[in-house]
Amino acid sequence: MLQSAAGTEGEKREGMQPYQEEYIANLRKIAALAARKKTEGHSVESYQEALTGNRLQIAQKVARNMELLREGLFPLLDHLLEAGEEELQELQEFAGILFRVGEELDVGLFCQIHQALLNRARLKKDRNGMIRELYWLGIGRNNRCSKLIGLEYAVIENYTFEMRLCFTEAGAYLKYFDEIEDSETRGYILRARANTALGQYASASEKIQRVRQTLQILQDRYYQEKEPNLPWERYIFMTHRQMASSISYSRENVMTAQDVEAVMESVYIVYQTHMQEAVERGEHPPIHSAFNYYAISYYCGLDTFDGLLNKTEHLMDSTELSDFSAENMYGIISLPAFYLQYLKQFPERISGRTAYIENLYRRILDYVEVFPDAPENEMLFLYLRQLANNYIETADSIPYGAFLLKLLMRFAPDIYIQSYIVARASAVLCEILMTEEPGFFDDIEEIRRIEDLQEKRHEARKFAMACGLLHDAGKINFIYLYARTGRQWFEEEYEMSRLHTIVGESCLKECASTSRYAAAALGHHSWYDGSRGYPASYERLACRERQMVDVISLIDWLENVTDAQCLFTGVRMTFDAAVKRAVSLEGRRFSPLLTARLRDGQIVAQLKKAFAEGRKEACRQLYEEDGLTDYI
Amino acid sequence: MYHKVTGRKPYGLKDQELKICKVLFFSHNYATMKGRDFHNKTEGSRHPEQEKDRNCSMQNSDNMANSDQLIEVQKKRIAELEQETAALKEALLAAEEANKAKSRFLSNMSHDIRTPMNAIMGMTSIGLSHIDEKARVHDCLGKIQTAATHLMSLVNDVLDMSRIDSDRLTLNEEPFSLADLIHDISVIVRPQAAQKRQELKIEIGRIEEEELMGDPLHLRQILVNIIGNAVKYTQEDGEIEVRFAQRYVTAKLPEADGAEGMMADAEAAETLPAGKVWLDFTCKDNGMGMSQEFLQKIFVPFERVHSEATSKIEGTGLGMSIVKNLVERMEGQILVESEEGVGSCFTVQIPMMTALQETASLHLPEGASVLIAENRKERAGQMARYLREAGLVPVKQEKGAQAVTWLTQAQYEGHMPCAMLLGEELSDMQVLSLASHVRQLAGKEFPILLVSEADWVQLEYRATRAGINGFVPCPLFKSRLLGTLAELLGGMGADDDAVQRELDYSGYRILLVEDIELNQEIAVELLSVTGVQVEVADDGAQAVEKFRNSPEGYYDLIFMDIHMPVMDGYEATRRIRGMDRPDAASVWIVAMTADAFVEDVRQAKESGMNEHISKPVEPGRLQEILYRQFSG
Repeated sequence: MLQSAAGTEGEKREGMQPYQEEYIANLRKIAALAARKKTEGHSVESYQEALTGNRLQIAQKVARNMELLREGLFPLLDHLLEAGEEELQELQEFAGILFRVGEELDVGLFCQIHQALLNRARLKKDRNGMIRELYWLGIGRNNRCSKLIGLEYAVIENYTFEMRLCFTEAGAYLKYFDEIEDSETRGYILRARANTALGQYASASEKIQRVRQTLQILQDRYYQEKEPNLPWERYIFMTHRQMASSISYSRENVMTAQDVEAVMESVYIVYQTHMQEAVERGEHPPIHSAFNYYAISYYCGLDTFDGLLNKTEHLMDSTELSDFSAENMYGIISLPAFYLQYLKQFPERISGRTAYIENLYRRILDYVEVFPDAPENEMLFLYLRQLANNYIETADSIPYGAFLLKLLMRFAPDIYIQSYIVARASAVLCEILMTEEPGFFDDIEEIRRIEDLQEKRHEARKFAMACGLLHDAGKINFIYLYARTGRQWFEEEYEMSRLHTIVGESCLKECASTSRYAAAALGHHSWYDGSRGYPASYERLACRERQMVDVISLIDWLENVTDAQCLFTGVRMTFDAAVKRAVSLEGRRFSPLLTARLRDGQIVAQLKKAFAEGRKEACRQLYEEDGLTDYI
Repeated sequence: MYHKVTGRKPYGLKDQELKICKVLFFSHNYATMKGRDFHNKTEGSRHPEQEKDRNCSMQNSDNMANSDQLIEVQKKRIAELEQETAALKEALLAAEEANKAKSRFLSNMSHDIRTPMNAIMGMTSIGLSHIDEKARVHDCLGKIQTAATHLMSLVNDVLDMSRIDSDRLTLNEEPFSLADLIHDISVIVRPQAAQKRQELKIEIGRIEEEELMGDPLHLRQILVNIIGNAVKYTQEDGEIEVRFAQRYVTAKLPEADGAEGMMADAEAAETLPAGKVWLDFTCKDNGMGMSQEFLQKIFVPFERVHSEATSKIEGTGLGMSIVKNLVERMEGQILVESEEGVGSCFTVQIPMMTALQETASLHLPEGASVLIAENRKERAGQMARYLREAGLVPVKQEKGAQAVTWLTQAQYEGHMPCAMLLGEELSDMQVLSLASHVRQLAGKEFPILLVSEADWVQLEYRATRAGINGFVPCPLFKSRLLGTLAELLGGMGADDDAVQRELDYSGYRILLVEDIELNQEIAVELLSVTGVQVEVADDGAQAVEKFRNSPEGYYDLIFMDIHMPVMDGYEATRRIRGMDRPDAASVWIVAMTADAFVEDVRQAKESGMNEHISKPVEPGRLQEILYRQFSG
């Protein structure tokens, strides 16, 4: 893969506008404020105060960032066609810092800027500018695709196409390599051509063939002699790495013999290069390429399945909990994901390894707990998403739902707090509903079959708590949007954020212990009458948990408009105004069976109290690092 | 081996018997009385004629005892009596059969009417008992609507049959377009097939004359009935192939039990007189098929296949009888071939009068290339053939990425095609993703036509947003394809004023509110190519003044910048909306700004603007707004 974000290859330029520098500084500050604070030396109260203070500071920074963009960036984009060279260079520089290797400060704004620059280049018929901007826009869009790992291809294909077409168009200029004399543009063309292989393809062969073609181009002496200044060796090596990463297809057994040969060759090249570098530095062989080497050996019949598992375990065991390098992080989090994926193919091998798996999860949680808050976190999130998609629950392992909550507590404490508030208030509302109407949730079989009323109420309450806690589990894929955005969202980000429902459902339905809560994750933004909301795949009348989804949907909405999402959407209401608005949406947005209860002042007061107490309790749990795993 | 039955042969019952049946069905008093009288006479008292014969025989026997003559007379008489008895028995049987059919009909009708009525009543009471649950009431109303529609079709069938039977049905003779007719049929039957996930192929063979004379309403009834039956009696995921073609030479349908399939009889082949053409229609499915026994009765009113599989399929058993009658009245022929468990094939041939062709001269740029992006080889081939016949040069691409590469290179080399035809599917991406990218790549003027079986009404919003500016429905007709292409290329002859008017916005006036001179120039240039009249205001205050001083309805659209000196766009919009004149509320105002946050979009709307576009403005987006406002 030839993905190289800005700030590399010598295109880094000095100088940005003061508003640009301030914006970037604010983004870094916001990322630091959004992370959970250490609790040593604090009381619960002071910890809660610190959290509140952080939220206030974040709000101020976000407001300031909006001002900076309105006063600095947007007028520039308004006049982009008449902007001078210097302004354009500063803009490029600014965009380059928003998203570069290992640091994703604001990929959304990065894409906006490059889209504007691309439109400008098209209108001005600036060929080199078009090629450059298509490349960067493709890079930005590829990042967006990486957040959707684990989702069905049909859900994400449009994002993939948008990204791929940018690279395709820029790569099409390869035909005119001779005529284009600018080295930088030639580099963009080659890298764009290589990046057309990024993302999912309908078949492994198609992708592998694409990479193979790129290798042929890069190894062609004709091009190399035309532009000797380009880092050809690096391009070729990175393309081999891209080919080696296609090893993942081997786990699906979909490669042809020709594919295997191509992948094997690249795996060996990458492995040998890394080995040589490691020997020169006196280090252990790199975990990533060693695993690829073992995997392809197994795939080609040179090793047994148990041999592969044993070697993978050996690699995982060689990692250090105190080492936060990319390679070690891969070994601790991503490698277990592949290991579990292999085991899922041969479930009979799981029973002999349950203790090992349980220990893996403990190590991962210990590792992420002490992982420093750093820009490199994005890679960590990617690996965690891989792991979540392949999680295997065993009798004594930490339950999957609890694992997800631990991740939220660690990396997105605000989302955890909001989820807890929704859980708590939903449980209160359920209690009220069950007291008035004991059969209210009888569409849910687990509740219907309980005859004892008290037990029935308890089960409904427990179910509501778990649904509330996990309804936003899908936000784990979009932490950059929910927990780290330093401004309001753009429309396309708003669109993207909607996918958290589908991601959440897909995440939860994978494991037996959480599959019951998948409907709440999927349907909590859908309108009661089906006329609006999202996603389209939620069919209320076909969902047996619909009454509970209605409850979560109402409470989550109240939480969102009174607190959670106001930073990103600009909507904020008082609790009473929100209740009034919810009642006005009766029968359309919300179930009339629920809004009828909001007409009762006493019930509203109980809910208001649950919201306030929920926040305190969630803060206490964060302080004590103690999630409510009993409910999951 | 298929069993066959043709519509030209008697089918099971003789005509006279059928007539009795029909009379019985529709004149029940008569039928009842006749049945009773006949019964009484045959089984009860002696007939007067019989009495007379008996007396006569007794007298003769006295005079001519033992004579051969007497014996001969008696023998003859006995033979006559036997014949009469046989005829009476036959008539009795027919009447009994007719009576049974009537009873079956009444029983079926009462069942068929009761079933939807039960649904209507049941759903009404469920809806009433959940009146507060809008979603459930909506669901109930949907089901009531379906049941009511079915009930209506039931009544219509019975009325149609009654009209046919009483010779009150007259066929119209009016000009119609075969392309329109087939498109209408496709729109009706496709959703039904889609609901059962059936593959419905509608293919067009050689078409000699698209403009015909006849009764399109009844022709549609014939075709929809046959295809509708194929859908009804074919299992989920089944296949249905429909084919239309025309020929000038007569081809005979085989007799029942004759040679296999339809064949052209070389000896009987004759060319129809000028102004006439045969329309051939076949509908073949792989559904449940019919037994030979049932095939003999397929055109008998009220006869339906009775099996477990069909028990839930709704129908009166009148459809095929109506079809056969209509085909015969149009002097056509119908052939049915079927085998139980394998499928059925209906063939209809109808001689049609041709209408005078409107000879609109299509001015297409001879020798220009047209890019076809379509994975379906047959469809792409059909498009290419039509284009070649019109003197254009088709270039086919099966993949979106290939299409983008080709277009990029064509643009760079200065030989852009005159249009792109976007087909039903691509092998690597969704067609709308490609359209969206090509719109940006090729600019606002470039015609992109979607050639699809999809219902345009369902697709229009997404398609126009993606940049598609023309739609050609399938099944594909040459006239449709070339006509739409010519419209978009602006090359229609003088006799197509309507199309010219639609593309020409010279009758519309736009107020462009923009403070930057360069932006004004660009926007005016982009807008004025459509012929629209553009007036410019340098700031919000000027815009308010211009609007205030203009006559009512003077401006059709306002493009409003946001950040301007003197008065910003929000305030200007508020002031315009606040004016006391009817067009102040209705004039369409579009925010044109780089401020792209969700909040900005909302703020623009709150100030009274109707929509929002980002800067730098994409030409395609401007075009889309003009199209929607002035042509859509």
